Amino acid sequence: MTSATQPVVKLGLQLLRGPAGAVLVMTAIFVVATLAFFAINGREAVSLFQEMVMGAFGDSYSFSETLVKTAPILLTALAVALPARLGLISVGGEGQLYLGALFGTGAVLAAVDQPGWILMPLMLAGSMAGGALWGVIPGLLKTRLGVNETISTLLLNYVGILLVSFVVHGPWKNPNSLGWPATIEFPAGAILPQFFDTRVHMGLVFGIVAAIVLHILVTRSRWGLGLQVSRSNPRVGATAGISYERNVLIVMAVGGLLAGLAGIAEASVIQNRLQDGLASGYGMTGFLVAWLAGQHFLRIIPLSVLMGGLLASADSLQLYAQLPKASADILQALLFIIVLAVASLWARRSNI
Amino acid sequence: MEYFTTELLTLLFAALRSATPVLAVVLGEAMTQRSGVINLGVEGQMLLGAMTGFAVASVTGDPWLGVIAACCAGIALSMVHAILVLGCGANQIASGVAVLILGGGLSAYYGTPFVGDKIDALGNLNHTFVSDIPLLGEFLGPITPTVLITLLAIPAISIFLFRTRTGLRWRSTGESQDITRNLGHNPTYYQLAAIAFGGLMSGFAGAALAVDYTANWVEGMTAGRGLVAVGLVIVARWNPWYALPAALLFGASEALNLKLQSWGVDISPYLLATLPYMIPLSVLMLSYRGLRASGGGMPAGLRVVFQSAR
Amino acid sequence: MDIQLYNITKHFGDVTANDGVSLDVRAGEVVALLGENGAGKSTLMKMLFGLYPPDDGAILIDGRETTIESPQKAMSLGIGMVFQQFNLVPALSVLDNLLLAYPKPPFWTFRRLFHTSPRKAVLTYLHELAPGLAPDTLVRDLSVGQRQLLELVKVLNLDAKVLILDEPTSVLPPQEAERLWGLIRKLAEAGRSVVLITHKMQDVMACAHRVVVMRAGRMVQTLTHEQCTESSLVSLMMGDSNQRSAIEVTPREAFANRPPRISIRDLDARHGAQSVEDIRLDIAPGEILGVAGVSGNGQHLLADALVGLTPLARGEVIIDGRVLQSASRTPSTSDRVSYIPEQPAVNAVAADLSLTTNVALSHFRSLRFFPAWTPEEQLTRKIIQRYQVRPDNPALAAGQLSGGNLQKLVVGRELEGDKDLVVAAYPTMGLDAGAAHDIYQALFAKAQEGAAILWISEDLDDLMSYAHRIAVLQGGRVSGIFDPRECDRLDIGRAMTGEHRPASTQQPPEQKPADSHARAVS
Repeated sequence: MTSATQPVVKLGLQLLRGPAGAVLVMTAIFVVATLAFFAINGREAVSLFQEMVMGAFGDSYSFSETLVKTAPILLTALAVALPARLGLISVGGEGQLYLGALFGTGAVLAAVDQPGWILMPLMLAGSMAGGALWGVIPGLLKTRLGVNETISTLLLNYVGILLVSFVVHGPWKNPNSLGWPATIEFPAGAILPQFFDTRVHMGLVFGIVAAIVLHILVTRSRWGLGLQVSRSNPRVGATAGISYERNVLIVMAVGGLLAGLAGIAEASVIQNRLQDGLASGYGMTGFLVAWLAGQHFLRIIPLSVLMGGLLASADSLQLYAQLPKASADILQALLFIIVLAVASLWARRSNI
Repeated sequence: MEYFTTELLTLLFAALRSATPVLAVVLGEAMTQRSGVINLGVEGQMLLGAMTGFAVASVTGDPWLGVIAACCAGIALSMVHAILVLGCGANQIASGVAVLILGGGLSAYYGTPFVGDKIDALGNLNHTFVSDIPLLGEFLGPITPTVLITLLAIPAISIFLFRTRTGLRWRSTGESQDITRNLGHNPTYYQLAAIAFGGLMSGFAGAALAVDYTANWVEGMTAGRGLVAVGLVIVARWNPWYALPAALLFGASEALNLKLQSWGVDISPYLLATLPYMIPLSVLMLSYRGLRASGGGMPAGLRVVFQSAR
Repeated sequence: MDIQLYNITKHFGDVTANDGVSLDVRAGEVVALLGENGAGKSTLMKMLFGLYPPDDGAILIDGRETTIESPQKAMSLGIGMVFQQFNLVPALSVLDNLLLAYPKPPFWTFRRLFHTSPRKAVLTYLHELAPGLAPDTLVRDLSVGQRQLLELVKVLNLDAKVLILDEPTSVLPPQEAERLWGLIRKLAEAGRSVVLITHKMQDVMACAHRVVVMRAGRMVQTLTHEQCTESSLVSLMMGDSNQRSAIEVTPREAFANRPPRISIRDLDARHGAQSVEDIRLDIAPGEILGVAGVSGNGQHLLADALVGLTPLARGEVIIDGRVLQSASRTPSTSDRVSYIPEQPAVNAVAADLSLTTNVALSHFRSLRFFPAWTPEEQLTRKIIQRYQVRPDNPALAAGQLSGGNLQKLVVGRELEGDKDLVVAAYPTMGLDAGAAHDIYQALFAKAQEGAAILWISEDLDDLMSYAHRIAVLQGGRVSGIFDPRECDRLDIGRAMTGEHRPASTQQPPEQKPADSHARAVS
């Protein structure tokens, strides 16, 4: 080896020992695990894997579908990551998303005859209020009664989903829809703007802007510092005059608000109405993405795109290769397990 | 009056039957948490147990083989949590959610061919050896075997936990791993056993649901029962005896839901269906009040995980 | 059983904890290992107990060289140790705790599965040492003295011939310490040997047959009980550090006729099982009010209530005529009140944030919305230099520093800037003598600038040397206020255990002529 290349190799090795190495190991294990999963189930592993990648990023249409899936994942991931910055483990993205859709739809139905410039802001405000409500409730339960937020958010998810079922089967059901439980179609003024003739919509922009703003606030501002301190040691925060209780309500509300936006975007753009089975597990996927990103707001953006790709390709493979939809769940879980294991071992190793 | 008594009694039996899967999970999870580990993956283990149990019962025609297979599936999946938490030192909540998603995915993937199958469910205990037991026989007759096994598990667990030395070390592991280690016992061993036991009980709970209670397999059929159970562990104060009333709470709210519908009460079934979540959640709120005042018996080692930010 | 430690040496990184130490302990003998904090006493004994191996030297038991690689091995040899930090599970009963520590029969033997048989065995010593203690009592309900007895019973249950006690009297009120001395003598008469790690003269004078004095990792001298005098021991123990500069406290006449800086009026507070009631105290500017008491008698809660971390149930706290805390307001902290809580490494720093951030927390309210970090870093460097915090990099996460260094950082942070009130709980606990000296100097200098000091301590000797008045907390109430010039340790001790009747819980600030302006260490 020449002396000129040596420092480069050294630098490379150093990077490998850091997070870059961890990411590399994670990716390698995940690819092997995916191939193994396909092979075990008697599929042509390599070609299926290729199709999967193509299904996510192969052409402009697949990529646009990936971005369609990215928006709700990004928003629900932020709804997990922000509370996590205060040390809260919220798993309530799903319920908040449904409540956002519910309240947003409520606003649309209430003002259905109004022009778009009134209808649209009303709808968005309604969805944010609904999501925030489903975030603030566990927040209040935590600060007032000490109820663990993980359990309350998990239980409220089911309640949120059932509430949507209730309105679409009952009071808000479109009388002309025959047996189909759904509301009326949204008027044109209540459809979020879309880009380039695809289904990619404003929700994605909301998510990216929110991620950047949150990143700046949490890492640079005094408020963000307060979150970090309370997370690390709430007692020290209290001594410095930082209100843990107030911050719990703020992060839960803002998180819920973002997930609520995801809900109304799904209802408005993708379904054009409120109906059962609105979100198909985006809340859980968001939770997973937030953890994969280490609760880092900017890293959530590319990871949401990746995960959106996984979901989009699973949709297309379901159609073309008869791969059950559940395989997307299995692959997500495998990825999560691998990342958790490798990241924890990496952290433990660097502590020694 | 007599009508009322019969109605109440059938309601109670219905509540007990519907509570059994939840009770089994509460017992298992309480034992897991007694060792200082929380496992949210019980929901996924329950689903995998239900699917495996149903599939094996359907293929072999023997529901008992299904129950055993379900227990094994529960243990196997719980080992993922054990490896992540004990082996890698991963966050317990995150690892639990990973297991939850994995269990849901696996059960949906491999369970698809069995949707709509018919199986021989475990019958009730009439005309078995139980009916020959004087006095008790008549009372136990209408109960199914999974109910009886789960009920018998309560005293068994209680004796193990509070009367044996292994149980003592199990509890001390949950209170403080450091002290337990200082006293010369290996806490990891007890935590591994605790996670496996939680896996066993949640797999069994899945079987109780799919092979016994409903005799059916539907994707996602547990509908959050495992997660409700994790909440009910707190209501039960980590005590196997209190687990019964806590689980009956869920059973009663579900039975009430069905009963109200059969009585033709004019409330949307979707709103009624929120009861099995809302009632445990409400009791949880009240329960936390007391927990705050008294410490409530939460294993001290768990407090670190559970109330991470407080 | 006779034990000989020969030429033991132990390094921790650059620090030499033990340097060629030799010591022998004979059966039936009480040996006191005397030295200041950080002299290397505990390290030596932890090697005998198998917690870490010596770098050099040998351990001989009954003349045979023995390697003790683990505490289990030490216990099987008959060596038992009672640590300052108890190994008890608070949520379990006395009996359960004893059973946990009892040597384990294999769990698969059915007869031993049910622990009714060892039940009797583990309780024998308990009935002997503490006849009044019910085995079903939860350990969390025991007093510190009872917990210590329980630890002793655990060691005796293992059939220990050699008992090592690490600073056993540091947490006990004077009378309970006397009871323990009696117990130690009794154990020695029964043929066991006892090694008493201590920095207190009283322990040595009361029960040691032989005294081994250690200083800075070396053995200085061995004396028999007859050869000992307190003054000779002190000079052996301190060595050159006798030359340490005097610690100045505010002269009494400086605040004799001044109105109180801080008044605590009829204060009640509750948190969980803890409560304080009916606290009435005034502290004048410049005055050092010591608070004594057995730990767990409300010190922690009183401090939290004063600085605004716990709401008051009744009463108020007045500072210079303004209300600082009151039962009718939500509690709030203030930048002019500083708080050095017990265990600062746990209670006063955010472990995963940088030292600079941790220092900036003391004036969080005055930071801009997007804070400027340069002045904060300069301030941090200043504190690091003044208190010799190591390592000295302000960008390090606080968790990467040792507890002692964090303690110095927190003291530095809290004493920075103008303060009206300083609440300090055990500010020197666990620190070596030099660092403790520096911290006392800084703390009492704050009093001379005019701050009122409320100083909670377990060390009666220090309290009696430096405090202007000593208030004793017992069961959440002030059970007595003493002038250290005219009371002795046992008076305070009686108040600590509640045997003392409070003659008057409220005394005006001292108005007697001051006798000493400054007190030096010895």
